[in-house]
Amino acid sequence: MFNYNFRWNQALSSLPQMLEGALVTIEIAVLSMAIGITVAILLTLFRLSGSRPLSAIATTWVEIARNTPALFQIYMVHFGLGGFGIHLSPYLSLLIGIAFNNAGYLTENFRGALKAIPETQTRAARSLGMSPIQAFQNVILPQMLRISFLPMTNQMVWAILMTSLGAVVAMNTDLYGVTSELNARTFRTFELFAIAAVIFYVITKAITLSARLLAARLFRY
Amino acid sequence: MKTSVFAAGLLAATALALPAQADKLDDIIASGTLRCAVVLDFPPMGSRDASNNPVGFDVDYCNDLAAALGVTAEIVETTFPERIPSLMSGRVDIAVASTSDTLERAKTVGFTIPYYSFENAVVANEKIEMSTWEDMKGKVVGATAGTYEAIWLEGKVKEWGEGEFRPYQTQADVFLALSQGQLDATVATVEVSQANVKSGNYPGIKIVDKTPMVPDYVALITLREEYGLINYMNLFINQQVRTGRYNELYKKWVGDGEPASLIVEGVYR
Repeated sequence: MFNYNFRWNQALSSLPQMLEGALVTIEIAVLSMAIGITVAILLTLFRLSGSRPLSAIATTWVEIARNTPALFQIYMVHFGLGGFGIHLSPYLSLLIGIAFNNAGYLTENFRGALKAIPETQTRAARSLGMSPIQAFQNVILPQMLRISFLPMTNQMVWAILMTSLGAVVAMNTDLYGVTSELNARTFRTFELFAIAAVIFYVITKAITLSARLLAARLFRY
Repeated sequence: MKTSVFAAGLLAATALALPAQADKLDDIIASGTLRCAVVLDFPPMGSRDASNNPVGFDVDYCNDLAAALGVTAEIVETTFPERIPSLMSGRVDIAVASTSDTLERAKTVGFTIPYYSFENAVVANEKIEMSTWEDMKGKVVGATAGTYEAIWLEGKVKEWGEGEFRPYQTQADVFLALSQGQLDATVATVEVSQANVKSGNYPGIKIVDKTPMVPDYVALITLREEYGLINYMNLFINQQVRTGRYNELYKKWVGDGEPASLIVEGVYR
Protein backbone atom coordinates (compact mmCIF):
# COMPACT_ATOMS: atom_id res chain seq x y z
CA MET A 1 0.00 0.00 0.00
CA PHE A 2 1.40 3.31 -1.01
CA ASN A 3 -0.64 6.38 -0.30
CA TYR A 4 0.92 9.27 -2.08
CA ASN A 5 0.11 11.54 -4.95
CA PHE A 6 3.15 12.60 -6.85
CA ARG A 7 3.33 16.30 -7.61
CA TRP A 8 6.42 16.68 -9.69
CA ASN A 9 6.11 20.34 -10.64
CA GLN A 10 6.57 21.51 -7.06
CA ALA A 11 9.63 19.34 -6.55
CA LEU A 12 11.09 20.09 -9.97
CA SER A 13 11.01 23.80 -9.22
CA SER A 14 13.73 23.09 -6.64
CA LEU A 15 15.94 21.49 -9.27
CA PRO A 16 18.31 24.47 -9.63
CA GLN A 17 19.02 24.42 -5.88
CA MET A 18 19.62 20.69 -6.01
CA LEU A 19 22.00 21.01 -8.95
CA GLU A 20 23.98 23.60 -7.00
CA GLY A 21 24.14 21.05 -4.22
CA ALA A 22 25.36 18.48 -6.73
CA LEU A 23 28.27 20.76 -7.62
CA VAL A 24 29.31 20.93 -3.97
CA THR A 25 29.05 17.14 -3.79
CA ILE A 26 31.33 16.75 -6.82
CA GLU A 27 33.74 19.33 -5.43
CA ILE A 28 34.08 17.49 -2.13
CA ALA A 29 34.49 14.14 -3.86
CA VAL A 30 37.20 15.45 -6.20
CA LEU A 31 39.12 17.19 -3.40
CA SER A 32 38.83 14.17 -1.14
CA MET A 33 40.19 11.95 -3.91
CA ALA A 34 43.11 14.28 -4.57
CA ILE A 35 43.98 14.29 -0.86
CA GLY A 36 43.27 10.58 -0.59
CA ILE A 37 45.57 9.61 -3.48
CA THR A 38 48.39 11.80 -2.17
CA VAL A 39 48.14 10.39 1.33
CA ALA A 40 47.79 6.84 0.01
CA ILE A 41 51.02 7.18 -2.00
CA LEU A 42 52.68 8.46 1.14
CA LEU A 43 51.34 5.57 3.22
CA THR A 44 52.48 3.12 0.53
CA LEU A 45 55.97 4.59 0.77
CA PHE A 46 55.76 4.23 4.56
CA ARG A 47 55.03 0.56 4.08
CA LEU A 48 57.84 0.11 1.59
CA SER A 49 60.30 2.05 3.72
CA GLY A 50 61.00 -0.90 5.99
CA SER A 51 60.80 1.40 9.00
CA ARG A 52 58.69 -0.12 11.74
CA PRO A 53 57.04 3.01 13.15
CA LEU A 54 56.25 4.30 9.67
CA SER A 55 54.63 1.10 8.50
CA ALA A 56 52.77 0.88 11.81
CA ILE A 57 51.24 4.29 11.05
CA ALA A 58 50.22 3.08 7.60
CA THR A 59 48.74 -0.16 8.95
CA THR A 60 46.77 1.62 11.69
CA TRP A 61 45.37 4.10 9.21
CA VAL A 62 44.33 1.38 6.77
CA GLU A 63 42.81 -0.78 9.51
CA ILE A 64 40.68 2.02 10.94
CA ALA A 65 39.64 3.40 7.57
CA ARG A 66 38.60 0.02 6.20
CA ASN A 67 37.11 -1.57 9.28
CA THR A 68 34.93 1.16 10.72
CA PRO A 69 31.90 2.79 9.10
CA ALA A 70 32.57 5.95 7.10
CA LEU A 71 29.74 7.51 9.09
CA PHE A 72 31.71 6.97 12.28
CA GLN A 73 34.87 8.39 10.75
CA ILE A 74 33.14 11.57 9.64
CA TYR A 75 31.32 11.92 12.97
CA MET A 76 34.60 11.52 14.86
CA VAL A 77 36.32 14.20 12.78
CA HIS A 78 33.60 16.64 13.80
CA PHE A 79 32.56 15.68 17.32
CA GLY A 80 35.62 13.66 18.33
CA LEU A 81 38.09 16.43 17.53
CA GLY A 82 35.48 18.91 18.77
CA GLY A 83 35.83 17.37 22.22
CA PHE A 84 39.48 18.42 22.17
CA GLY A 85 38.58 21.95 21.17
CA ILE A 86 39.44 21.46 17.49
CA HIS A 87 36.43 22.86 15.68
CA LEU A 88 36.08 22.09 12.01
CA SER A 89 33.26 23.37 9.85
CA PRO A 90 30.80 20.81 8.48
CA TYR A 91 32.43 21.16 5.05
CA LEU A 92 35.93 20.46 6.35
CA SER A 93 34.76 17.65 8.64
CA LEU A 94 33.10 15.90 5.73
CA LEU A 95 36.04 16.47 3.39
CA ILE A 96 38.60 15.20 5.89
CA GLY A 97 36.42 12.26 6.87
CA ILE A 98 36.01 11.10 3.28
CA ALA A 99 39.67 11.77 2.46
CA PHE A 100 40.67 9.64 5.46
CA ASN A 101 38.48 6.81 4.22
CA ASN A 102 39.73 7.18 0.63
CA ALA A 103 43.35 7.11 1.72
CA GLY A 104 42.81 3.86 3.65
CA TYR A 105 41.13 2.04 0.79
CA LEU A 106 43.50 3.38 -1.85
CA THR A 107 46.52 2.30 0.13
CA GLU A 108 45.21 -1.24 -0.03
CA ASN A 109 44.52 -0.86 -3.74
CA PHE A 110 48.07 0.29 -4.25
CA ARG A 111 49.39 -2.66 -2.29
CA GLY A 112 47.50 -5.01 -4.59
CA ALA A 113 48.83 -3.16 -7.62
CA LEU A 114 52.40 -3.35 -6.32
CA LYS A 115 52.08 -7.10 -5.95
CA ALA A 116 51.26 -7.31 -9.65
CA ILE A 117 54.51 -5.58 -10.58
CA PRO A 118 57.42 -8.05 -10.64
CA GLU A 119 60.06 -7.14 -8.10
CA THR A 120 62.72 -7.72 -10.71
CA GLN A 121 61.74 -4.39 -12.24
CA THR A 122 63.01 -2.50 -9.22
CA ARG A 123 66.25 -4.43 -9.36
CA ALA A 124 66.57 -3.81 -13.09
CA ALA A 125 65.97 -0.11 -12.56
CA ARG A 126 68.50 -0.01 -9.75
CA SER A 127 71.07 -1.80 -11.91
CA LEU A 128 70.59 0.94 -14.50
CA GLY A 129 71.91 3.33 -11.88
CA MET A 130 68.62 4.74 -10.58
CA SER A 131 68.34 5.59 -6.92
CA PRO A 132 65.60 3.81 -4.94
CA ILE A 133 63.48 6.96 -5.15
CA GLN A 134 64.03 7.31 -8.88
CA ALA A 135 63.19 3.67 -9.40
CA PHE A 136 59.92 4.07 -7.50
CA GLN A 137 59.03 7.34 -9.14
CA ASN A 138 59.87 6.44 -12.74
CA VAL A 139 59.23 2.73 -12.95
CA ILE A 140 56.95 1.50 -10.20
CA LEU A 141 54.63 4.45 -9.48
CA PRO A 142 53.30 4.89 -13.03
CA GLN A 143 52.51 1.19 -13.31
CA MET A 144 50.97 1.14 -9.84
CA LEU A 145 48.65 4.02 -10.70
CA ARG A 146 47.80 2.41 -14.02
CA ILE A 147 46.88 -0.94 -12.48
CA SER A 148 44.84 0.67 -9.74
CA PHE A 149 43.15 3.17 -12.03
CA LEU A 150 39.81 1.39 -12.20
CA PRO A 151 39.68 0.63 -8.47
CA MET A 152 40.35 4.34 -8.01
CA THR A 153 37.26 5.21 -10.01
CA ASN A 154 35.34 2.87 -7.73
CA GLN A 155 36.59 4.86 -4.77
CA MET A 156 35.62 8.08 -6.52
CA VAL A 157 32.08 6.75 -6.87
CA TRP A 158 32.14 5.87 -3.20
CA ALA A 159 33.35 9.36 -2.37
CA ILE A 160 30.39 10.85 -4.26
CA LEU A 161 27.97 8.62 -2.38
CA MET A 162 29.67 9.20 0.96
CA THR A 163 29.01 12.93 0.75
CA SER A 164 25.45 12.14 1.78
CA LEU A 165 26.85 11.22 5.22
CA GLY A 166 27.61 14.90 5.72
CA ALA A 167 24.17 15.18 7.26
CA VAL A 168 25.56 13.87 10.56
CA VAL A 169 27.90 16.83 10.79
CA ALA A 170 25.24 19.37 9.81
CA MET A 171 26.40 19.71 6.21
CA ASN A 172 23.60 21.44 4.32
CA THR A 173 25.05 22.66 1.05
CA ASP A 174 25.72 19.32 -0.64
CA LEU A 175 23.14 17.45 -2.71
CA TYR A 176 21.81 15.39 0.20
CA GLY A 177 21.79 18.35 2.58
CA VAL A 178 19.89 20.55 0.16
CA THR A 179 17.40 17.78 -0.53
CA SER A 180 16.66 17.00 3.09
CA GLU A 181 16.21 20.66 3.90
CA LEU A 182 13.71 21.05 1.06
CA ASN A 183 11.99 17.95 2.40
CA ALA A 184 11.64 19.40 5.89
CA ARG A 185 9.99 22.46 4.46
CA THR A 186 7.63 20.90 1.95
CA PHE A 187 7.25 17.23 2.99
CA ARG A 188 7.49 16.25 -0.73
CA THR A 189 9.76 13.41 0.35
CA PHE A 190 9.43 10.96 -2.48
CA GLU A 191 9.75 13.35 -5.42
CA LEU A 192 12.71 15.16 -3.85
CA PHE A 193 14.65 12.05 -2.99
CA ALA A 194 13.82 10.43 -6.34
CA ILE A 195 15.29 13.47 -8.08
CA ALA A 196 18.33 13.36 -5.81
CA ALA A 197 18.79 9.66 -6.59
CA VAL A 198 18.67 10.34 -10.32
CA ILE A 199 21.26 13.11 -9.96
CA PHE A 200 23.52 10.82 -7.91
CA TYR A 201 23.10 8.10 -10.54
CA VAL A 202 23.94 10.42 -13.41
CA ILE A 203 27.05 11.72 -11.65
CA THR A 204 28.42 8.31 -10.75
CA LYS A 205 27.57 6.84 -14.15
CA ALA A 206 29.33 9.75 -15.84
CA ILE A 207 32.38 9.12 -13.68
CA THR A 208 32.61 5.40 -14.46
CA LEU A 209 32.01 5.90 -18.18
CA SER A 210 34.50 8.71 -18.57
CA ALA A 211 37.04 6.76 -16.51
CA ARG A 212 36.66 3.82 -18.87
CA LEU A 213 37.07 6.01 -21.92
CA LEU A 214 40.06 7.69 -20.35
CA ALA A 215 41.61 4.35 -19.45
CA ALA A 216 41.19 3.07 -23.00
CA ARG A 217 43.06 6.14 -24.31
CA LEU A 218 45.74 6.39 -21.67
CA PHE A 219 46.67 2.79 -21.25
CA ARG A 220 47.01 1.58 -24.81
CA TYR A 221 50.05 -0.54 -25.18
CA MET B 1 -39.32 -17.05 -6.00
CA LYS B 2 -36.29 -18.66 -7.49
CA THR B 3 -35.17 -15.40 -9.02
CA SER B 4 -35.48 -13.55 -5.75
CA VAL B 5 -33.41 -16.18 -3.90
CA PHE B 6 -30.88 -15.96 -6.65
CA ALA B 7 -30.93 -12.17 -6.43
CA ALA B 8 -30.56 -12.28 -2.67
CA GLY B 9 -27.65 -14.69 -3.00
CA LEU B 10 -26.04 -12.48 -5.59
CA LEU B 11 -26.52 -9.46 -3.35
CA ALA B 12 -25.00 -11.27 -0.38
CA ALA B 13 -22.06 -12.36 -2.49
CA THR B 14 -21.43 -8.82 -3.73
CA ALA B 15 -21.76 -7.49 -0.20
CA LEU B 16 -19.13 -9.96 0.97
CA ALA B 17 -16.86 -9.30 -1.94
CA LEU B 18 -17.15 -5.55 -1.83
CA PRO B 19 -17.61 -4.36 1.73
CA ALA B 20 -18.40 -0.69 2.21
CA GLN B 21 -15.18 1.24 1.76
CA ALA B 22 -13.39 0.95 5.09
CA ASP B 23 -11.34 3.98 6.02
CA LYS B 24 -8.30 4.22 8.25
CA LEU B 25 -10.40 4.62 11.38
CA ASP B 26 -12.17 1.34 10.61
CA ASP B 27 -8.87 -0.33 9.81
CA ILE B 28 -7.35 0.69 13.13
CA ILE B 29 -10.32 -0.50 15.13
CA ALA B 30 -10.51 -3.73 13.15
CA SER B 31 -6.79 -4.46 13.47
CA GLY B 32 -6.81 -3.71 17.20
CA THR B 33 -3.58 -1.72 16.99
CA LEU B 34 -2.82 1.95 16.63
CA ARG B 35 0.65 2.46 15.25
CA CYS B 36 2.10 5.85 16.18
CA ALA B 37 5.31 7.35 14.85
CA VAL B 38 7.03 9.08 17.76
CA VAL B 39 10.40 10.84 17.81
CA LEU B 40 12.32 9.36 20.72
CA ASP B 41 15.27 11.70 21.00
CA PHE B 42 13.15 14.70 21.75
CA PRO B 43 12.63 14.79 25.52
CA PRO B 44 10.34 15.48 27.25
CA MET B 45 8.02 14.71 24.32
CA GLY B 46 9.65 11.42 23.46
CA SER B 47 12.65 9.53 24.81
CA ARG B 48 13.63 6.18 26.24
CA ASP B 49 13.81 5.32 29.92
CA ALA B 50 16.56 3.42 31.70
CA SER B 51 15.20 0.09 30.50
CA ASN B 52 14.92 1.36 26.93
CA ASN B 53 11.14 1.70 26.88
CA PRO B 54 9.65 4.63 24.99
CA VAL B 55 8.34 7.30 27.36
CA GLY B 56 7.27 10.92 27.16
CA PHE B 57 4.40 13.24 26.48
CA ASP B 58 3.89 12.01 22.92
CA VAL B 59 4.10 8.37 23.98
CA ASP B 60 1.40 8.90 26.61
CA TYR B 61 -0.66 10.84 24.12
CA CYS B 62 -0.58 7.91 21.72
CA ASN B 63 -1.48 5.50 24.51
CA ASP B 64 -4.43 7.69 25.50
CA LEU B 65 -5.68 7.80 21.93
CA ALA B 66 -5.34 4.04 21.60
CA ALA B 67 -7.24 3.58 24.84
CA ALA B 68 -10.02 5.83 23.57
CA LEU B 69 -10.21 3.77 20.39
CA GLY B 70 -10.17 0.56 22.43
CA VAL B 71 -7.05 -0.75 20.76
CA THR B 72 -3.44 -1.26 21.80
CA ALA B 73 -0.81 1.31 20.97
CA GLU B 74 2.35 0.46 19.11
CA ILE B 75 5.10 3.07 19.30
CA VAL B 76 7.22 3.16 16.16
CA GLU B 77 10.37 5.18 16.61
CA THR B 78 10.98 7.73 13.90
CA THR B 79 13.15 10.75 13.17
CA PHE B 80 11.77 14.11 12.12
CA PRO B 81 12.57 13.65 8.42
CA GLU B 82 11.19 10.10 8.41
CA ARG B 83 7.70 10.99 9.60
CA ILE B 84 6.25 11.34 6.13
CA PRO B 85 7.81 8.23 4.57
CA SER B 86 6.53 6.16 7.52
CA LEU B 87 3.02 7.50 7.03
CA MET B 88 2.97 7.18 3.27
CA SER B 89 4.38 3.68 3.20
CA GLY B 90 1.78 2.54 5.73
CA ARG B 91 4.28 1.66 8.46
CA VAL B 92 2.33 3.81 10.89
CA ASP B 93 -1.24 5.06 11.09
CA ILE B 94 -0.54 8.45 12.58
CA ALA B 95 2.42 10.45 13.81
CA VAL B 96 2.40 11.88 17.33
CA ALA B 97 5.65 13.67 16.73
CA SER B 98 5.38 17.36 17.55
CA THR B 99 4.70 18.21 13.92
CA SER B 100 4.33 21.94 13.29
CA ASP B 101 1.25 22.64 11.22
CA THR B 102 2.60 24.77 8.37
CA LEU B 103 0.49 25.46 5.31
CA GLU B 104 3.26 24.17 3.09
CA ARG B 105 3.18 20.79 4.81
CA ALA B 106 -0.62 20.68 4.89
CA LYS B 107 -0.52 20.32 1.12
CA THR B 108 0.88 16.86 1.74
CA VAL B 109 -0.39 15.54 5.06
CA GLY B 110 -3.59 15.92 7.07
CA PHE B 111 -3.26 17.92 10.28
CA THR B 112 -5.56 17.82 13.29
CA ILE B 113 -6.17 20.84 15.48
CA PRO B 114 -3.08 21.66 17.61
CA TYR B 115 -2.49 19.29 20.52
CA TYR B 116 0.43 21.18 22.00
CA SER B 117 2.21 24.47 21.57
CA PHE B 118 5.87 25.17 22.02
CA GLU B 119 7.68 28.33 22.81
CA ASN B 120 11.25 28.46 21.71
CA ALA B 121 14.27 29.65 23.60
CA VAL B 122 17.71 30.77 22.53
CA VAL B 123 20.38 28.68 24.21
CA ALA B 124 24.00 29.76 23.96
CA ASN B 125 27.43 28.57 24.93
CA GLU B 126 28.42 30.28 28.18
CA LYS B 127 31.52 31.78 26.59
CA ILE B 128 29.44 33.75 24.13
CA GLU B 129 28.27 37.22 25.13
CA MET B 130 24.57 37.32 24.40
CA SER B 131 21.60 38.99 25.99
CA THR B 132 18.83 38.93 23.40
CA TRP B 133 17.87 36.65 20.57
CA GLU B 134 19.06 39.25 18.07
CA ASP B 135 22.63 38.72 19.25
CA MET B 136 22.55 35.52 17.22
CA LYS B 137 23.19 37.70 14.20
CA GLY B 138 26.58 36.88 12.72
CA LYS B 139 27.12 33.87 14.96
CA VAL B 140 27.40 30.18 14.16
CA VAL B 141 23.97 28.87 15.03
CA GLY B 142 22.27 25.53 14.57
CA ALA B 143 19.13 23.53 15.28
CA THR B 144 17.66 20.09 14.76
CA ALA B 145 17.20 19.44 11.05
CA GLY B 146 13.63 19.28 9.85
CA THR B 147 12.06 21.16 12.76
CA TYR B 148 10.04 24.35 12.78
CA GLU B 149 12.70 26.21 14.72
CA ALA B 150 15.38 25.10 12.25
CA ILE B 151 13.36 26.46 9.34
CA TRP B 152 12.81 29.72 11.24
CA LEU B 153 16.44 30.09 12.27
CA GLU B 154 17.77 29.36 8.80
CA GLY B 155 15.41 31.99 7.42
CA LYS B 156 16.76 34.50 9.94
CA VAL B 157 20.38 33.73 9.06
CA LYS B 158 19.57 34.23 5.37
CA GLU B 159 17.80 37.48 6.21
CA TRP B 160 20.74 38.77 8.27
CA GLY B 161 23.12 37.78 5.50
CA GLU B 162 25.88 36.93 7.97
CA GLY B 163 26.73 34.10 10.29
CA GLU B 164 26.28 30.43 9.59
CA PHE B 165 23.42 27.97 10.02
CA ARG B 166 24.01 24.30 10.75
CA PRO B 167 21.22 21.69 10.83
CA TYR B 168 22.30 18.75 12.98
CA GLN B 169 20.45 15.46 12.66
CA THR B 170 19.36 15.06 16.26
CA GLN B 171 18.64 17.30 19.22
CA ALA B 172 21.43 15.52 21.09
CA ASP B 173 23.99 16.45 18.43
CA VAL B 174 22.88 20.09 18.53
CA PHE B 175 23.48 20.30 22.27
CA LEU B 176 26.74 18.37 22.00
CA ALA B 177 27.99 20.84 19.39
CA LEU B 178 26.80 23.74 21.54
CA SER B 179 28.47 22.36 24.63
CA GLN B 180 31.74 21.80 22.73
CA GLY B 181 31.59 25.34 21.41
CA GLN B 182 31.17 24.33 17.78
CA LEU B 183 27.93 26.26 17.85
CA ASP B 184 27.58 29.66 19.47
CA ALA B 185 23.84 29.36 19.96
CA THR B 186 20.80 27.31 19.12
CA VAL B 187 17.06 27.66 19.14
CA ALA B 188 15.15 24.86 20.81
CA THR B 189 11.83 24.50 22.54
CA VAL B 190 11.74 25.89 26.06
CA GLU B 191 10.90 22.40 27.32
CA VAL B 192 13.92 20.77 25.68
CA SER B 193 16.23 23.65 26.61
CA GLN B 194 15.30 23.57 30.28
CA ALA B 195 15.57 19.79 30.41
CA ASN B 196 19.03 19.89 28.84
CA VAL B 197 20.35 22.71 31.01
CA LYS B 198 19.02 20.97 34.12
CA SER B 199 20.31 17.50 33.25
CA GLY B 200 23.94 18.64 33.28
CA ASN B 201 24.67 16.38 30.32
CA TYR B 202 25.78 19.39 28.35
CA PRO B 203 27.99 21.61 30.51
CA GLY B 204 28.64 25.21 29.61
CA ILE B 205 25.30 26.20 28.13
CA LYS B 206 22.79 28.84 29.23
CA ILE B 207 19.33 29.97 28.23
CA VAL B 208 19.49 33.50 26.90
CA ASP B 209 16.13 34.65 25.69
CA LYS B 210 12.86 33.58 24.18
CA THR B 211 12.49 33.80 20.43
CA PRO B 212 9.98 36.16 18.89
CA MET B 213 8.46 33.56 16.61
CA VAL B 214 4.77 32.75 16.60
CA PRO B 215 3.98 29.96 19.07
CA ASP B 216 4.91 26.70 17.43
CA TYR B 217 1.59 24.88 17.31
CA VAL B 218 2.03 21.18 16.73
CA ALA B 219 -0.61 18.75 15.58
CA LEU B 220 -1.14 15.06 15.03
CA ILE B 221 -0.78 14.00 11.43
CA THR B 222 -2.14 11.25 9.26
CA LEU B 223 -2.87 10.82 5.57
CA ARG B 224 -4.54 13.89 4.14
CA GLU B 225 -7.68 12.10 2.93
CA GLU B 226 -8.47 10.30 6.21
CA TYR B 227 -11.20 12.70 7.30
CA GLY B 228 -12.85 10.14 9.55
CA LEU B 229 -9.70 9.67 11.56
CA ILE B 230 -8.81 13.36 11.59
CA ASN B 231 -12.31 14.11 12.84
CA TYR B 232 -11.96 11.57 15.60
CA MET B 233 -8.56 12.88 16.63
CA ASN B 234 -9.84 16.48 16.70
CA LEU B 235 -12.51 15.45 19.15
CA PHE B 236 -9.96 13.45 21.11
CA ILE B 237 -7.66 16.46 21.47
CA ASN B 238 -10.60 18.56 22.61
CA GLN B 239 -11.49 15.92 25.19
CA GLN B 240 -7.92 15.70 26.44
CA VAL B 241 -8.07 19.39 27.35
CA ARG B 242 -11.66 19.23 28.60
CA THR B 243 -11.00 16.32 30.95
CA GLY B 244 -7.84 17.86 32.37
CA ARG B 245 -5.66 15.13 30.97
CA TYR B 246 -3.68 17.74 28.98
CA ASN B 247 -2.71 19.53 32.20
CA GLU B 248 -1.94 16.23 33.86
CA LEU B 249 0.44 15.15 31.08
CA TYR B 250 2.03 18.59 31.13
CA LYS B 251 2.72 18.29 34.86
CA LYS B 252 4.04 14.79 34.43
CA TRP B 253 6.49 15.49 31.59
CA VAL B 254 7.19 19.20 31.47
CA GLY B 255 6.78 20.39 35.03
CA ASP B 256 4.74 22.75 37.15
CA GLY B 257 2.89 25.60 35.59
CA GLU B 258 0.27 25.90 32.95
CA PRO B 259 0.56 24.30 29.53
CA ALA B 260 0.30 26.70 26.61
CA SER B 261 -3.18 27.67 25.56
CA LEU B 262 -4.35 26.00 22.39
CA ILE B 263 -6.78 28.80 21.64
CA VAL B 264 -5.96 31.26 18.92
CA GLU B 265 -7.64 34.55 19.78
CA GLY B 266 -9.96 36.24 17.35
CA VAL B 267 -10.43 33.44 14.89
CA TYR B 268 -13.09 30.80 14.45
CA ARG B 269 -10.83 27.76 14.40
